[in-house]
Amino acid sequence: MATTTAAVTLSSDLMQDALSVTTDTTLMKAGTTADGLDQVKMGYNKIPTGTSFDLLDATAAGVDKAAKVLIANESMDETYYVTIVIDAKPIGRLYAGDWMFIPWNQDDATHDLEITAVNGTNNVTWMAFHEGETLTTSAD
Amino acid sequence: MATTAQVTITSDILTGFSSVVKSMTLTKAGTTNDITETTGYSRRKLASITKVDLITMANELVEPSDNTAAKVYIKNIGNSQGVIDKSVGVKVLINSVEIGVLYGGDWLLMPVTVVDGEDIEVKPETDDIVILEYAMYYEEA
Repeated sequence: MATTTAAVTLSSDLMQDALSVTTDTTLMKAGTTADGLDQVKMGYNKIPTGTSFDLLDATAAGVDKAAKVLIANESMDETYYVTIVIDAKPIGRLYAGDWMFIPWNQDDATHDLEITAVNGTNNVTWMAFHEGETLTTSAD
Repeated sequence: MATTAQVTITSDILTGFSSVVKSMTLTKAGTTNDITETTGYSRRKLASITKVDLITMANELVEPSDNTAAKVYIKNIGNSQGVIDKSVGVKVLINSVEIGVLYGGDWLLMPVTVVDGEDIEVKPETDDIVILEYAMYYEEA
């Protein structure tokens, strides 16, 4: 079985008694307890302003699968950010230095994960761990 | 007064790939100033497939500043009695648009708009008891 784990440490002293959470999870295929996600795609993109791009295209093969996505904004200027949109729903902003890690259910073929850069060209690293994708037959 | 988060992903899917590590300090939008507001660390017990609000943006005691740098952390800890079922999960949605499913033990950390009405909703896939732990970090309006 392919094994992929995602660990997080979240620490905060906003409350009087500091909080620290450390946990990890093994990324499994949907509905299974013994079969790990076994496919991955990744990239590093320079996202120019003014256009909304599909960072990840939802496909019918991905519906109700257990994809997990990491996106990191590698920009250095703290005023730069990207907006994250799923199926036309604004999710939030990733400012320079921010990262996010989410499960991504391609609820339908329009459930694309979209990204738009603001205030300048943003540099973004992303990884998607997933299952069920098959290559399309070449047309020529 | 800082809040930090680090993710480490390790995988043997790709030969030669060992891990990726990303760290961040949660800051206010467009600045290097630390974010200052939080819901605190909370837990919510669910026991039906009914969709409910995990965080209702209009109900926060400190009004969040919309469309800034807010983040939310959510973890499915199972039933807290030692059962962490990786085969069933809890759907996480933003105002009825599904983000994905947190299976037993899974966690997420993502930005949120905190706009009133853009609530964080959760919907278990079964009627079994499942507990979510969560915290939101945001700016005051």
